[in-house]
Amino acid sequence: MNDLERNIAGLIIETLALEHLKVDDIAVDQPLFGQGLGLDSVDALELALALQNRYGLKIASDSRDARRHFETVRSLAHYVEANGAPCAN
Amino acid sequence: MIELAIERWRAWAPGIEEPAAWAAWSAAPRPLVDSGEQPSCDFVPPMQRRRLSRLARIVMHTAWPMCSDDEQLPFVYASRHGETTRTFAMLDDIGREAPLSPTQFGLSVHNAIAGQWSILREQRGESVAIAGEADTFEHAIVEAAALLGEGAAAVIVVLAEERPAVAYDGWIDDVPFSYAVALRVSRADGTAAGPRWRLSLRGNTEAAPSAPGPHALQFVRALHDGAILDHPWKTRRWTWQPVP
Repeated sequence: MNDLERNIAGLIIETLALEHLKVDDIAVDQPLFGQGLGLDSVDALELALALQNRYGLKIASDSRDARRHFETVRSLAHYVEANGAPCAN
Repeated sequence: MIELAIERWRAWAPGIEEPAAWAAWSAAPRPLVDSGEQPSCDFVPPMQRRRLSRLARIVMHTAWPMCSDDEQLPFVYASRHGETTRTFAMLDDIGREAPLSPTQFGLSVHNAIAGQWSILREQRGESVAIAGEADTFEHAIVEAAALLGEGAAAVIVVLAEERPAVAYDGWIDDVPFSYAVALRVSRADGTAAGPRWRLSLRGNTEAAPSAPGPHALQFVRALHDGAILDHPWKTRRWTWQPVP
């Protein structure tokens, strides 16, 4: 896991109150939703908000690509690298 | 007038959980210090438990043993103030012009905890979420009596309050510490075990002062000493008395 991926995994744990997990418990290619980590649609909204706040991402809720970007920690990291604002806090 | 059998009860307050602790508190009631303690609710899987607020945990902890796994019972959730912690967090977001958390928003409504109970305890029957004044507890009992009158075998009633944020001091003065009381009630003329109590209401014309402390906890006291309880509130005067 690179730094950005660790960062995103930490953000997922913190934002979604996954107190029973540590960063290393989430594999970069583990599906986040459904049968994988077990996140649901409310988590998706919450996570989109957190990504927006931390990385300056703008995620359109009707975007057909959103589902693909949110598949795993790795796909989220790629998405942040390509679309995030570098200095966003 | 309502007559009920109290088949089971369970209460929670900071540091007072077990029946012996409630018996001791009932014999010598004292204000409790609320340091944010909450029940662990280990019986709820972590992925579901993460969505339980402190108030929700207190409710689940007290209500869980009121029914068995293969039983379906109506549920009355009563709280005068509800999810003040979630509401206050959202007001703070609004004040900072920050977007609202979907989770906070979705779970701040008054019937959210009743919904979580239904999902977690796999209860598919009626549930009611009510908020009243200082006599919310008595109104919850009226609701339970109505459900029993409709034919329910028993009803679970939970009265729960969480100590609100400091910002509410001077506005909310009847939650000295967080607490919950869960009761399993049934018709007094049935075969259920447990003490029987009568609740009656008349107009409060005597300008009697309101009873000190939360009504629901005073009822826990009464369950121990069997004394008649007088609960005046504004124009209403509720009386609880044991049925011999």
